[in-house]
Amino acid sequence: MKKVLNISLANRTFTLEEDAYTRLREYLDHFRARLGATADGPNSQNAEVMEDLESRIAELFTQEVGTDGRVVRLDLVERVTRQLGMPDGAPESDAHTGGSSYSSSSSSTSYSGTPNPKRMYRDCDNRRLAGVCSGLSIYLDIDVVVTRILMLIAAFFFTAGFWIYIICWIAIPEALTPAQKCEMHGLPVTAENMARFSRTQNF
Amino acid sequence: MENTIDNVRAQMRKGLLEYCILSILDKREAYASVIIDELKSVGMIVVEGTLYPLLIRLKNQGLLAYRWEESTQGPPRKYYVLTDQGREQLGQMDTAWNELVESIQTLKK
Repeated sequence: MKKVLNISLANRTFTLEEDAYTRLREYLDHFRARLGATADGPNSQNAEVMEDLESRIAELFTQEVGTDGRVVRLDLVERVTRQLGMPDGAPESDAHTGGSSYSSSSSSTSYSGTPNPKRMYRDCDNRRLAGVCSGLSIYLDIDVVVTRILMLIAAFFFTAGFWIYIICWIAIPEALTPAQKCEMHGLPVTAENMARFSRTQNF
Repeated sequence: MENTIDNVRAQMRKGLLEYCILSILDKREAYASVIIDELKSVGMIVVEGTLYPLLIRLKNQGLLAYRWEESTQGPPRKYYVLTDQGREQLGQMDTAWNELVESIQTLKK
């Protein structure tokens, strides 16, 4: 007994066994990744290619299982994906490693290599006074204790520290919205990241 | 060595694929599977995936157009047709191809 999933391909319904579904999805992801890596055209073009590809898959599935509710199994998906291959004609096994390493490298570069530009905000979630030190520590990626101690020393021994704090308070905006908090931490503003901050805000 | 030859072959085929597609569509309009079958029968492509990005690119360049047609079996089909611009391009490609073949033959004499 196996779990099945209903999917729609090119406006037609197909019933896939769970492993077949996972495989098909993986294949489509690989194809899309390859397309992005090789195509010179804009993304709208890629969407059209995927559309054509999906309707071809729908056609091949229909040829095999007909339209009377028979289930698409993993071996059929494997056969179809072998027949269709990758956009650059390379074997999919390359795409398996190449594709996944491509996506992982691109995601890792977006975090470490070329991070989203951080913006300086005052961190109101973790503040003693106005969140200047906390915001500064996030911006400079150092521990908040260090910035606080330095600020205290500056305030005690040189009155300038006090004025610097006041000026920062006025000049630096507070990170109020989840989107601003993403920017503060240098994270891409995505729904996922924003949810993280709106949850911490609720605590 | 065999690898490099395979590579050269693949490169040659790749370069000529557009020419092949236009030639097929010059005879009659066709939907993707027919184009694929014909290309496969002459050994021009190994996997179908290579064709789809190409078709869309040619369409966006204005060389091809398409229309939808209901099919009795399976989803509606996208029939590709050559546009006037495409026909013109094909004429130029024909000339270029003949010149190439001549050049090679002259060199080999």
